[in-house]
Amino acid sequence: MATVTVAARPVQVARTARAKAIRRHVLIYLGLAPFMVIAIFPILWMVITAIKQDADLYLMDAVPFWFRQAPTWKNFDFLFHHTSYGDWIVNTVAISFWVSAITLLVAVPAGYALARLRLPFSENLGIGIFMTYLVPGIILFIPLARVVSLLDLQDSWWSLVVVYPTLTIPFCTWLLMGFFKTVPFEIEEAAMVDGCGQLGALLRVVLPVSWPGVITAIIFSFTLSMQDFLYALAFVSVSDQKPVPLGVATELIRGDIYFWGSLMAGALLVGVPVAIVYNFFLDKFITGITGAAIK
Amino acid sequence: MSWWRTPTARRYTFGYTLLAPAVLYVLLLVGAPFLFSLYLALSDASTGAPVAHFVGLDNFRSAVETSVFYTALRNTLLFTVGAGILKGLLGTTLAFLLLQPFHGRKVIRALIVVPFTLPIAVSVLGWKWMFDSQFSVINWALSRLDLIGPYGSASWPVWLGQPGLALLSVMFVNVWRGFPFSAIVLLAGLTSVPPEILDAAKVDGATFLQRFRKVIVPMIAPILFIGSAFDTVFTLSDLSIVYLLTNGGPDGATEILPTLAYNTGIRGGALGRGAAISLFLLPILLPLIFFLLRALRRRQY
Repeated sequence: MATVTVAARPVQVARTARAKAIRRHVLIYLGLAPFMVIAIFPILWMVITAIKQDADLYLMDAVPFWFRQAPTWKNFDFLFHHTSYGDWIVNTVAISFWVSAITLLVAVPAGYALARLRLPFSENLGIGIFMTYLVPGIILFIPLARVVSLLDLQDSWWSLVVVYPTLTIPFCTWLLMGFFKTVPFEIEEAAMVDGCGQLGALLRVVLPVSWPGVITAIIFSFTLSMQDFLYALAFVSVSDQKPVPLGVATELIRGDIYFWGSLMAGALLVGVPVAIVYNFFLDKFITGITGAAIK
Repeated sequence: MSWWRTPTARRYTFGYTLLAPAVLYVLLLVGAPFLFSLYLALSDASTGAPVAHFVGLDNFRSAVETSVFYTALRNTLLFTVGAGILKGLLGTTLAFLLLQPFHGRKVIRALIVVPFTLPIAVSVLGWKWMFDSQFSVINWALSRLDLIGPYGSASWPVWLGQPGLALLSVMFVNVWRGFPFSAIVLLAGLTSVPPEILDAAKVDGATFLQRFRKVIVPMIAPILFIGSAFDTVFTLSDLSIVYLLTNGGPDGATEILPTLAYNTGIRGGALGRGAAISLFLLPILLPLIFFLLRALRRRQY
């Protein structure tokens, strides 16, 4: 009899532990469910809208989440054949390219100097450059509108190439400074002993081992410029010069009529890739802006 | 050997040369425009007139004299504080849930942060469609749950067309976008709390409430403040939610300072008046920026 209880006990313990784990999971999932629904439902609804036929979209007596007419790609088709969507994509890509290029050209040397060269005031300079990230566009957009018209760039996407680096340079300088600090000094010293100058050491030794930082800076040049709406709205009003978010928001409406299907299609086609890329780098963004204060 | 040829001097020259482009860029395109906005606010500059005259505080005075300005100011404060509190509460709850180890945590986390990572104009368009006056999917769901009447009945709320509801709706979209950010910031801070501290408190016989008040709250409060400060700066400077959903309507009920500044300065062409209106945000922003500056300076070098 005694042997039976001894044998049964571990099984029972395992069973209660399992039951406990299951109960814990159920509770956590229940707690997370409302957050999930609130976060994801709007996006799901956008997807459904984007691939529905118009007649199906406006049937209010039926369940809106089902398809009574076959899903369609015609909303996407419409974007490319009857709007300037193609131009907007080209503009967005071109803006991202130039903003990334300018950001790297300016932020890499600055981040390196702040992290490596033991300059007087480098701490204050670093914080000073980063703080400009916090000066909100809403205070700057009116004077910048004047700057843009002085440069004769109004109604051209080049105006955004000039303005977006004010968002990306402060952030990326700060981010790259952190990256450069993690590169061991010895590598650099060895290179300099081997006859590289300071610049040679940066280009040939430090930069190649800091490529994850450089890639991260490029990603943020892209995602941070994609989050903007204000500058694009204020500086670009010619249809074929707009970046995608502005174009979709302002050009797919005729008077009071909204082309919801195409609106959602156009918004998602660019929004989803941006969100996915940003998702992977979100932790870097958070530590970038807050890490300094939390660590 | 003269001083400027010493290795130290050469390092300084090299270093400041590398820094110069960044410093110049932000000075020219953030610093100068900021000063320029102070000047504009004191002038009668407009998009049409090439020459601006100094008008003193007239722009501020005439802004303050309109009733829409007060609505905008009140809405801005209400919006920022109300949405801020909600984001803090939801973000904290979510952060504690996501802190637990469970299956599928990474996937769930990745999905929940999508509102923050999606470009803001994109998601606001989705919300505009969900708040549509005739085909709102929210109303459809509410009517199926028997909370409101059938389609076409007067009980269907017009989310963006009724003053009070419209303000709540734009606030809700801001909360929807911001709560994942609060949660992730808190999560980053909480994971940096060494679990030994919590375990030690547990061994010492502290109850959950005691641990919460004495250990967890003092640790998360500073992080929550920093997250909220960043979020408030983002919220105050964002016009896209209100601009795209209501453009300040109905009848100015959702007007906030950013939309008022845009409509006055860029649409209306009164650059001076617009600049003055946006500068009213400065007294709210400056304390936040100073707070963040202090937090950043505590960084260990």
